Amino acid sequence: MTRDQKKILKKVLFYLVLAIIVIYLLFPFYWAISSSLKTEAQLSMTPATLIPRDPDTGEISIFTRNYKAIFTNGGFIRGLINSTIVATSTTILALLTGSFAAFALGKLRFKGKAPALYTILAMTMFPQVTVLSGLYAVINALNLSARVSMIFTYLLFTLPFTTWVLTSFFRDLPDEIMQSAQVDGATPFQTFHMILLPLTAPALVTTGLLSFIQAWNEYLFALTFTSIDVEARTVPVAIQYFSGEFARQEPFGEIMAAAVVVTIPIVVLVLIFQKRIVAGLTAGAVKG
Amino acid sequence: MAISSSSNLAKEEQKLAFKLLLPAFLILIIIALYPLGQVFYTSFTNREFASSTKTEFVGLDNYQALLSFTVKELDPIIDQETGEQAVDEETGEKQFQRPIRVLPRDPHLYRPAFEFSFFGNKYVVGARTPDFIRSVWNTLVFTFFSVFFETLLGLIVALVVNSEFKGRGAMRAVMLVPWAVITVVSARMWEWMFEPTRAGLFNMLGDRFGLIDGSYSFLSSANLQLPAIIAVDVWKTTPFMALLILAGLQLIPNELYEAAEVDGASKFRQFFNITLPLLKPSLAVALIFRTLDALRVFDVFQVMLSQKRYSMASFNYFQLISARKMGMASAIGVIIFIIIFAFAILYMKSLGVDTE
Amino acid sequence: MRKNLLLVLALVFIIAFSGVVMAQEEDEITLTIAAGAVGQEKATAEEAAAMYMERNPGVNVEILDTPDLANDRYGLYLQFLEAESSKVDIYQIDVIWPGELAEHFLDLYDYGAKEVVDKHFQAIVQNNTVDGKLIALPWFTDAGLLYYRTDLLEKYDREVPKTWDELEETARYIMEEERAAGNEDFYGYVWQGNAYEGLTCDALEWIYSNGGGKIVSDDKKITINNDKAIEIIDQAAGWVGGISPAGVTGMGEEDARSMWEAGNALFMRNWPYAYALGNEEGKPTAGNFDVSPLPAGDSGSSAGTLGGWNLAVSKYSEHPEEAAKLAMFMAGEEVQKLRAVEATLNPTIKSLYEDEDVLEAAPFFGSLYDVFTNAVARPSTATAPKYNQVSEQFFQAVHSVLTGESDARSAIEYLELDLMDTTGFETGEPTQP
Repeated sequence: MTRDQKKILKKVLFYLVLAIIVIYLLFPFYWAISSSLKTEAQLSMTPATLIPRDPDTGEISIFTRNYKAIFTNGGFIRGLINSTIVATSTTILALLTGSFAAFALGKLRFKGKAPALYTILAMTMFPQVTVLSGLYAVINALNLSARVSMIFTYLLFTLPFTTWVLTSFFRDLPDEIMQSAQVDGATPFQTFHMILLPLTAPALVTTGLLSFIQAWNEYLFALTFTSIDVEARTVPVAIQYFSGEFARQEPFGEIMAAAVVVTIPIVVLVLIFQKRIVAGLTAGAVKG
Repeated sequence: MAISSSSNLAKEEQKLAFKLLLPAFLILIIIALYPLGQVFYTSFTNREFASSTKTEFVGLDNYQALLSFTVKELDPIIDQETGEQAVDEETGEKQFQRPIRVLPRDPHLYRPAFEFSFFGNKYVVGARTPDFIRSVWNTLVFTFFSVFFETLLGLIVALVVNSEFKGRGAMRAVMLVPWAVITVVSARMWEWMFEPTRAGLFNMLGDRFGLIDGSYSFLSSANLQLPAIIAVDVWKTTPFMALLILAGLQLIPNELYEAAEVDGASKFRQFFNITLPLLKPSLAVALIFRTLDALRVFDVFQVMLSQKRYSMASFNYFQLISARKMGMASAIGVIIFIIIFAFAILYMKSLGVDTE
Repeated sequence: MRKNLLLVLALVFIIAFSGVVMAQEEDEITLTIAAGAVGQEKATAEEAAAMYMERNPGVNVEILDTPDLANDRYGLYLQFLEAESSKVDIYQIDVIWPGELAEHFLDLYDYGAKEVVDKHFQAIVQNNTVDGKLIALPWFTDAGLLYYRTDLLEKYDREVPKTWDELEETARYIMEEERAAGNEDFYGYVWQGNAYEGLTCDALEWIYSNGGGKIVSDDKKITINNDKAIEIIDQAAGWVGGISPAGVTGMGEEDARSMWEAGNALFMRNWPYAYALGNEEGKPTAGNFDVSPLPAGDSGSSAGTLGGWNLAVSKYSEHPEEAAKLAMFMAGEEVQKLRAVEATLNPTIKSLYEDEDVLEAAPFFGSLYDVFTNAVARPSTATAPKYNQVSEQFFQAVHSVLTGESDARSAIEYLELDLMDTTGFETGEPTQP
């Protein structure tokens, strides 16, 4: 085998693996798209078809009314707006407070680091159901509005996550960077937000995206906190409130359509930020 | 002079650290202190949810009710005629006494959680809350397999996406799609794919390839429930792992690979000698959060298995909402808390990531 | 720059906080009804609320939609009641909740309900009465029905089955014929076999119609461990993998309906909601089916499990008088008729089943009357506040028999022990009319 052949073979193998990964990740999503384009009769057809087909004639027949239905449903649009507000605010708050804490935990010397780290992690160790009624009591006592209470309570899982991931990144940054900055007369805080923060961009973007999605998808807290305040319902709750004409009827096609539509903004978000995920360190930057 | 300035510096650093940690702790204290404290306190009471019955302090009763178990041997049934152990005519299996005969009933009723054989003897594990004992087992099995596969697949995906090829940017977005689908909805979507008729994807495919007869019920067959749920979770959360690992890979300086290349080290050796060791800290954090989420798994179990099979958190949910035993539910919460804490420390120690 | 961002964020939160404390107008009172979120059900509730507001100036009625999933709705209500919230005045509650939640609701007999209860179905009123107090007014009802394919029964010249044995026989015959004719997905009978409340409903129908009692009797005796009950559960377990698909042990209402509407089942047990949906254009079942009471077993009489929703007035309401008055109006004849005609919700008032307008809008209501008068209530009031646990132990036991994990006799023996442990009741013999 010549070197060229080897190269080609490697390339073919690589793209094969890539193709398998793409199919694995996307096929269930494709199934959701296909289901969202089916009528109830097409959904219950046996055997199921990969492309929506007419039950009688077997010809391809696409049904778009599920999409029309969700967009004429005021609750869904409102949910998209609410989810955007809530998830963005939570993420910004978590990244802000989390990166401060992480800088302290990862780069500064002080006593009691381990207890601090574990205390923060402990906040997120209970199942959501367990803390729900306690949280609800706190929210009632503080008289928080539904949106604000979601923003704050989501910090219960986003803040420990951002803090821990960022701490591990700060710790891995070479100490020389800080020392050289200090020699140049920078205060530790200046070092932090002028030099270290840009270096952790991949971690910031990664944790930001992951927390954003987690907050975007949260259901149980949102369901409870927005139960009275209809205007504040987020997307997962709005979808759960989708209903057919009759009680018990589950509008499966519409739910799938909503799932597809809701995923798109996140994909766009990732496309905007994706370069940052890998734009991190060059060897030069590390040496300082 | 030098000493005092360095100790001054240390003091200042400590002060700064305190200031930086303050916002995070302030937020956590305001929102979390009361609910978490309440969970601990309630776990020692017999409090009922949304009920005016008087709450009493019951000490460790809830924990005892959840965790007590007993192992009893089941005596073989002797056939009167032959004097030997009776054998079931249909299945050909040896017959043993039913657990109902041997498990204690007073002062508490013990129900069979599961049975096992050992050296030809048969034993039954009885528990006061067998559903909880089983839910712990289900959750541990689920956590082990799903975290294992997620890490493996996440690593593969991250390495592939990290290499140079056309369409990398799009691939990074594609990679996140499963994670982006709303959890409750994705569980419903998979439930539909597992539908026990040929309207469901897997029955349709299985039937087309002649593997099953087209009305296989994945979610009510005891052997397939956990594998099905694990498959769903692996699909859903591999992106989470992959993205965190991908970010970790960015921290590894390129020169290390260049140097290894010059030394003639193979790609495999590079992976095991450079990538893996340097990835450890990021991997540890990713593993901790994945394990933590897996141990608290709720949505997939709730939607797909509901009351057929519980995870710890879904059992907890039904104890609170359906049985309204708030004291019991809180005790379950505390037990989950302790298990997760143990896992977190275990990971940190075994992966050699220091916290100081 | 970062500091500015913090300031801006703080400002945003302060504004958001202050928005909450805005006071309401003084001169009118607002009453909130937590009700179903579903299409016509919600629309007609709002229509009725508008009618009430027009006649009662000074009262503002709001309909708060709640999740359609009973578990989610129940969890939400518990959260409100735990917080003793005055935000909701009237709750729409499931027929199995009055006993569970009785302590949070007013006795409607104190607010003039005595005069109207006789108009409603007796079984529901009895179900909603806890310790002599009327916890909730019946609003609309539901009961298990047998759906059958008229075209197929005609084609094979068979009658609508009156007993479970007949159903089994007919189902087996037609299923074999249809499969031989090429429809390999065809089954005889689909129902709700998943381990959830729906199975409690289905299994109660088998047992009660077979003379096996209703799990726990009204006078608080555990009656489940009897031969009639065991016999019929065994029979049902025999359907799984035979006239019913093996996957029926994972099916709920919607799974059964989906299979039925694909034209893949001869019989289906379901609630009345599937009637209008099955007749939608383009579905193989449209125009080809009808409903009848479920088959009977040894008792000779059919039994459909009672479902449906009721209106209860919260003890924590700030305006109990007005709220009770509103509940009486919503559950009254006028509104029930409106909802029967416009949303095909089954009234709980007996006379409406002879009302011409109602029968014109929903002709199949006439045949439901008998089903509702003979409906069997789940033992929720007798076992309160432990009904959910009782029901879970019951459906888990039945499910384990259906999947073949255990045999009916030991499952029921254990169930009896479990129920004694949970409720503290004695055992007894089933008594049935």
